[in-house]
Amino acid sequence: MIIATVEPWIEAPLKQYVDDARARLALLLHPSGQVLAQAGFTRAVDVMTACALAAAVHATAGELGRQLEGRAFRGLHHSGVEKQLHLAAIETARGPYICLTVFDQESSLGLVRLYFADLCRDLAAAAPPLATLRPPALAADFERDLNQNLASLFGRG
Amino acid sequence: MITPYTALLESLSRQRGVRASLIVSEGDGLVVDANLRFGQDGDPVAALAASLYRKARLSARAARLGAVGFLQLDAERGRICAVGGRNDLVIVVVAESTANVGLIRVELLKALESLE
Repeated sequence: MIIATVEPWIEAPLKQYVDDARARLALLLHPSGQVLAQAGFTRAVDVMTACALAAAVHATAGELGRQLEGRAFRGLHHSGVEKQLHLAAIETARGPYICLTVFDQESSLGLVRLYFADLCRDLAAAAPPLATLRPPALAADFERDLNQNLASLFGRG
Repeated sequence: MITPYTALLESLSRQRGVRASLIVSEGDGLVVDANLRFGQDGDPVAALAASLYRKARLSARAARLGAVGFLQLDAERGRICAVGGRNDLVIVVVAESTANVGLIRVELLKALESLE
């Protein structure tokens, strides 16, 4: 499976996770929707769409959790006929990320959750701390950053 | 909390050498109910045992051997035994390597009957 990352420290933990959990697709992104790494996607437009939707779903679920029990829900699982998705946040020294995992009958929710816990631990250990706080994602920079990241992932940087 | 599976799991865990007994969903790899010792984490066992059982079932089918009756994995420091039925549920027992597998097998098959 092709794995591409914007930042090199992500690659090894993500590859291990995708292999162990037998995921079909995986995406690591900022809560703003900026992609950081992808596994299994072949087209930039699919990554862009998935990131936008995953960020929106994560924000919605987080707010629902805050409304219902005062804190954001930590993970989300949807089961389709053949494919399932798992969406959950990862805390690192560089801030929170979101991981979207798509899997099929080769895996199970239990396996994905099991290895996702390892991914959280591995990414938290591998993440170099940010020298300065990340500025908020502004509309003016968003598209430029997004295009840079997509170009980096799909070899057009 | 008492569930419909509490008595079944307790009777399995009473067997000599049994460390844990679980009912897991084969498709999801999640714990439905479990009888665990203090400090044991059932989630990894459930996920991996369900995956193992599923692979065994698919392998048996591919080899045209029919349904899997009883699955046993012997490891250095213990063994995992599992049985599954027509529904999605698999009963899993984690036991010491010195445990009597024959008795565990009988109890597992009895448990499976009561589950179905």
